[in-house]
Amino acid sequence: MIRFDQVSKRYPNGHQGLDRLDFHIRAGEMVFITGHSGAGKSTLLKLIMCMERPTSGAVHVGGQNLQDLSSDDIPYLRRQVGVVFQNHQLLFDRTVFDNVALPLIINGTPADEVGRRVRAALDKVGLLSKEASYPIALSGGEQQRVGIARAVVHKPALLLADEPTGNLDPALSAEIMGLFEDFNRVGVTVLIASHDLPLIAKLDHRMLTLDQGRLITDGE
Amino acid sequence: MAAAKRNTETKRKAPKGAARSERNWRHPLRSWLGSHRASARQALRQVGRYPFSSALTVLVMTIALALPMGLSVLINQVEQLGVNWQEAAQISVYLKDDVNAERQQEQLAAIKTLAGVAAAQLLDKELALAEFQQHSGMGDALLQLSYNPLPSVIVVTPASIDGGAAALEPLRDRLAAIDGVDQVQIDLLWVERLASILAMLERFTGGLGLLLIIALLLVMANTIRLAIESRREEILVVKLVGGTDAFVRRPFLYIGVLYGLLAGVLAWLLLAAGLAWLNVTVQQVASLYQSDFALIGMPWRDGLTLVFGAMLLGLVGAWLAVGQHVRAIEPS
Repeated sequence: MIRFDQVSKRYPNGHQGLDRLDFHIRAGEMVFITGHSGAGKSTLLKLIMCMERPTSGAVHVGGQNLQDLSSDDIPYLRRQVGVVFQNHQLLFDRTVFDNVALPLIINGTPADEVGRRVRAALDKVGLLSKEASYPIALSGGEQQRVGIARAVVHKPALLLADEPTGNLDPALSAEIMGLFEDFNRVGVTVLIASHDLPLIAKLDHRMLTLDQGRLITDGE
Repeated sequence: MAAAKRNTETKRKAPKGAARSERNWRHPLRSWLGSHRASARQALRQVGRYPFSSALTVLVMTIALALPMGLSVLINQVEQLGVNWQEAAQISVYLKDDVNAERQQEQLAAIKTLAGVAAAQLLDKELALAEFQQHSGMGDALLQLSYNPLPSVIVVTPASIDGGAAALEPLRDRLAAIDGVDQVQIDLLWVERLASILAMLERFTGGLGLLLIIALLLVMANTIRLAIESRREEILVVKLVGGTDAFVRRPFLYIGVLYGLLAGVLAWLLLAAGLAWLNVTVQQVASLYQSDFALIGMPWRDGLTLVFGAMLLGLVGAWLAVGQHVRAIEPS
């Protein structure tokens, strides 16, 4: 599903984001990326999303070498990926329903189906009763679950999450991780960047550990 | 997962668009329409969210549209008046005093056959005197005269006065060569003056219109630029979840067209009301000149041109801003 071949990312200011990364994540896996802040976790996710391009090496997603994608193709890559951000990236002037519906609106899903799928996604994260609320009225954990509903509403094959439990207490964090495991169980490949080692340790999944841009354990 | 694999495999063969879900290929029109409806709704929401600044933009656009359009409509209608005057432009062919009535008819017939003559009418000296008495206000004084001082005249309406008096010179020579013609007088100066004043006003309006159209495009572009800035976060999120540049652009283009539509309709109303208001005084002035000239108001054709032109300008102005700014907002 995801393959990194000798991928390096060096920023214009000379900072080495990633250093010759080599790994392979198979379809249906659930994998954690961990390491100190600044170790390159976010950079790795950004490369998969084509938000950044590697300085050298090749990133393959779903068999597609991202090097071959033109900037016009990038939106169509992103439609096959669901992303959960630490700061949710919700639109605060729209209802929960409209936030979750966004990926479906973008790919032109018919209106009746939008309603059905948005409610299915909200039901999955336990927020069906909040569809008419605005994100500002929700707690941090609820906002994060809206973000997750938005990431999965268009049934992506790959789900990425960048510090999804960053601002949450341990109980809520465990609940969120449980949701990711549920999606993984139905076949979604899940890749989560997190530095919450105590939580990750409790879950029995493969772990990639980064240190200063280098992969120090592959977990395989 | 199988579906995802199939998607990425087709993507390799046809990188563009093939990754769109199969479902949407079955409803391409429906999804296209749905997406446009969403964009239009979003444009309305954006305009509705900032009613005051939206109204200001629309009013500035209205004035920028109404000014040149109003001048152009006015000039057009005065030109219509000019056309009437052109028809009245005449060449007076004064006949020698010793030409008898029969000979006058022959001369009239000869003149009518000349090229460049639209019409010719004989005004014999008796008729000329009667007309002069009636209109000059010197009727009584003329009655004191023991003889008729006026010559017989053949009034010639030229087929065309394009090119002014100079273009009529050959006709004048031919008229003057006719036996029994005393003098030929062309008085086109006032028609020429009117024509050149109108030409000058037209050019002025054209220049003003061009400037105001540029101003309108800049106002539009700036408004859209601000709208884009105010939605920066949203654009980032939309791009992150796979929105194309076209999708991001579309609501802003709708906003441009919507502003254009509102400004066009307002300008139309403004001009219709303004012309009606002006017409009262125009008719007063015209009646002082024994004319029943009146403005015909705002023609439908011009109104529709105004509205569609404004929508087009709104679209172009929005496009100018959107092309530059939407691409610049990229998640990183």
